[in-house]
Amino acid sequence: MSERRVAVVGDATSVAGFRPLGFAVFPVERPADARDLWPEVLRGGFGAVFVTEPVYAETADLIAVIADVPVPAVTVIPAAGSAGGVGAAKLDRAIERALGTSVPQREEEE
Amino acid sequence: MPQIRANPNRMELLKLRRRSATARRGHKLLKDKLDELMKEFQARISDNRRLRRDVESDLAGAFGLFALARAEAGSAALASALMAGEAVPLLGVTEKSVMSVRVPVFALGTLPEPGGYSLATTPAVLDTALDRLAAVAPRMIDLAEREKAIELLAAEIERTRRRVNALEYVLIPTIDATIRDITMKLDEAERGNLTRLMKVKDMIARQEASGGR
Repeated sequence: MSERRVAVVGDATSVAGFRPLGFAVFPVERPADARDLWPEVLRGGFGAVFVTEPVYAETADLIAVIADVPVPAVTVIPAAGSAGGVGAAKLDRAIERALGTSVPQREEEE
Repeated sequence: MPQIRANPNRMELLKLRRRSATARRGHKLLKDKLDELMKEFQARISDNRRLRRDVESDLAGAFGLFALARAEAGSAALASALMAGEAVPLLGVTEKSVMSVRVPVFALGTLPEPGGYSLATTPAVLDTALDRLAAVAPRMIDLAEREKAIELLAAEIERTRRRVNALEYVLIPTIDATIRDITMKLDEAERGNLTRLMKVKDMIARQEASGGR
């Protein structure tokens, strides 16, 4: 078992709260800045990396490169004030890829 | 159906039959693997949506509390209060194999106690916000682990399905068509030989009959 750190990449307002919890935070002024920061994040040897939705929108192609390796696990979280739903859409795409069709949500899940 | 270029002889026929048997065995194995992967996949996606929704709503709640704290204390004071703390290795990472797909398993260690900021200059709601965030952190890690596994399984399912389809709809029918073709050509040659033999026999019989007379 290896001990790894956890990183959060996003706007300063969203990620600041994670620092006191022991997470490594990578605040970016604009979501596009995360592209320059990404190699540093990968070099950090993190076990899990959380990116906010605006950052994911800018770095989706960079994240897709490491989709086939077990770590780091890159997960989309909503930013402060973002609408949400991007992470769920990302997962739905994976499901669609696997099953060849999207799975309709059941009523009881609503 | 396109065929494999092969000489129509018995040796090629035997080779193709062996290839056909191997391809069928491979197809069955891959199909079983695909079924098992689908089972694993279905089991994982069922709870994930709910978990994601909970995490997203809890995070939104925590962010709301941080916004309140920021409004009360001011951005600069809050930013300096949250500068405390440093990144520590929180996550025990192991890997396990699910149908030969390596998926990560995360074990979150104890989160450091948030602190290191002045209680006099920061609002009480900041403590609540940090507590809320600390409460959602284990579920975030759980979500990361599940979603990574789902993505890795999805990629493997796609790859396996492509292989199954290639075997089922391309390789096996091609080999079968070639086997049929070679069998027909060999049969044709066999019939040709038989006819020739019968004809020769007939000629000999006629010669003997005329010689005897």
